[in-house]
Amino acid sequence: MNRLFVLCTGLLAASIPLAGCSASTAAPDHAAATSTDGTSTTSPRTPWGDPDLQGVWRYEATMPLERPAALAGKATLTDEEVAKRQAVEKDQESRRLAGEEGAAVGRQSLDESPIRGNEYNSFWQDQGRPRKVYNRTSLIVDPPDGRIPYMPDARKAEARASARYGVGPYESYLDPDTGERCLTDGVTALMWQGPNGGHNRIVQSPGYVTILHEEYRDRRIIPVDGRPHGSIRQWFGDAVGRWDGNTLVVDTINFLDKTNYEWANIWTRPSETLHLTERFTRADAETIDYEITVEDPTTFARPWKAAIPIARLPEKTQIYEYACHEGNYAMSNLLGGGRAHRSGR
Amino acid sequence: MRTGLTGAIVGGVLVALVAVAATRFGTTATAGQTERVTFARTADGKPDLNGIWQALNTANYDIQAHPARPAMALKPAPPRTSPAGLGRATPTDLPAAPVLALGAVGGVPAGKGVVEGNEIPYQPWAAARKKENADNWLTRDPEIKCYLPGVPRATYLPYPFQILESTNKILIAYEFAGATRTINMDDVGSSPADTWMGWSRGHWEGDTLVVDVTSFNDQTWFDRAGNFHSEALHVVERYTPVDHDHLMYQATIEDPKVFTRPWKISMPLYRRLEKDATVLEYKCVEFVEQLLYGKLGARDPGAE
Repeated sequence: MNRLFVLCTGLLAASIPLAGCSASTAAPDHAAATSTDGTSTTSPRTPWGDPDLQGVWRYEATMPLERPAALAGKATLTDEEVAKRQAVEKDQESRRLAGEEGAAVGRQSLDESPIRGNEYNSFWQDQGRPRKVYNRTSLIVDPPDGRIPYMPDARKAEARASARYGVGPYESYLDPDTGERCLTDGVTALMWQGPNGGHNRIVQSPGYVTILHEEYRDRRIIPVDGRPHGSIRQWFGDAVGRWDGNTLVVDTINFLDKTNYEWANIWTRPSETLHLTERFTRADAETIDYEITVEDPTTFARPWKAAIPIARLPEKTQIYEYACHEGNYAMSNLLGGGRAHRSGR
Repeated sequence: MRTGLTGAIVGGVLVALVAVAATRFGTTATAGQTERVTFARTADGKPDLNGIWQALNTANYDIQAHPARPAMALKPAPPRTSPAGLGRATPTDLPAAPVLALGAVGGVPAGKGVVEGNEIPYQPWAAARKKENADNWLTRDPEIKCYLPGVPRATYLPYPFQILESTNKILIAYEFAGATRTINMDDVGSSPADTWMGWSRGHWEGDTLVVDVTSFNDQTWFDRAGNFHSEALHVVERYTPVDHDHLMYQATIEDPKVFTRPWKISMPLYRRLEKDATVLEYKCVEFVEQLLYGKLGARDPGAE
């Protein structure tokens, strides 16, 4: 057993990616082809020679997007703190498997909850896969304080969005946020958000990488044939991709202005000046290292960057139909409730 | 480990050679015809259906043969009370009030239909229900509400769709409402629930992609004319490339709760040849909120 193999195995076990340490991979239909630019032949490739990112992926770790206020100034946890968190996750997992309500959420505090305590009960949660503990205290790696660098008005807007979520008022279909209207929660957090699933299927075909997000049935068909951006503005902008060695780099511009709507999270709200740069690298058989740089002078004082490890789900995992709008009884219930509230019933 | 690496390189070179071969197009020419380009094949020898396609017919108005008419929603003509020519002119069917302002934009073009034999073999109760659907088109057609269109209607909506052919999955990404179907070419068992777009399992028969679709709910229509089905619907689609730019599409429709026997529709599908052809967004949920919810709340955004 050579030393490189031992080193790589150790690093992989600690979930630290290192070029050249790809675990042996490949579902039987992937060819380990020699790529045209001479990059590594050990990472899986599609039959036409592109790096293979295919599968169903989900973010399953404990890092929040922003560093919690209680951990200000602390970019990484100590080994003892990591071990303590791992024990909590293990305990939460066994309580989840035993069917305890509320335990499915697995949050240590309200700060860590992406929807501020309005958690669905465990029926809605994906059970049985324990979350991985990393020593980083935030997904955001730049700016160094691990916090979103809002413009002043956007910071106020985020506080307002938090305060009104689940509270209202709900007087017309414009008052619920875009998610409650079954439109979308935005593309910025597509790869890791989704309290009720957050499953993403990546499918590749010659010249395209397609990402299907189960929630809202959001879809991105990303050309990787070197074409320039189109000019049509869209909710999800105009995305073009290219391969940089084994990394898929996606550049997205030409978003519609949807700043007039209510958004659950202001940092996912598209404006005409939003510019996303994403990098997808298959670190090993079970992990994509995903990096997103978000730039929007309308909302942020400077660009910010998050690094997110996305885990591969078992081969048989399916993405199911998300017929949100077709079944949006919540809208009529919310608005009926709003009228009743108004008339004092 | 070293043997494996050598084997991988050899395998890789072979795959690269086959991939190069697969990108070359052959041509066929018949006397009196211009040269047509045969379709490409993927590395494993299957037809390459990748691309953006669209139907070019009026099937979404009515899958059966139909003459042109002023609108989908009509105010029926009053009964005639005198023999021809012996009384004053009477109106024909007129556009219903909600669509009158659309003028010729709201008209229905004639079409020769896509149903083989032009007959839809409804059971008697179902034939009556279809007529009721047609009479109540504005309130009942799921397309108006931006609901998922179902299969096969998604194929012949007047919007393009993209086929994305990978190894074990083939995606069909429709422009309308961002609907996407995953055709499972691998064994995925059956669906855990009924769906709008069904559960699709595909396999190749020669050069034809055969897709078996089950697990529908009863909410979608086949067209604007009110043709409908139950949750027992079973559709078998066949996509056969005839040359590089044309697929022949056939769907066999079976529903023992609604029809007396299976029946078929068929039509060509045309490749969109623009150099930068793209399936764009048609996120129509936003377009129908005023229609569906405008009057439900304490405030009406449309009235302000």
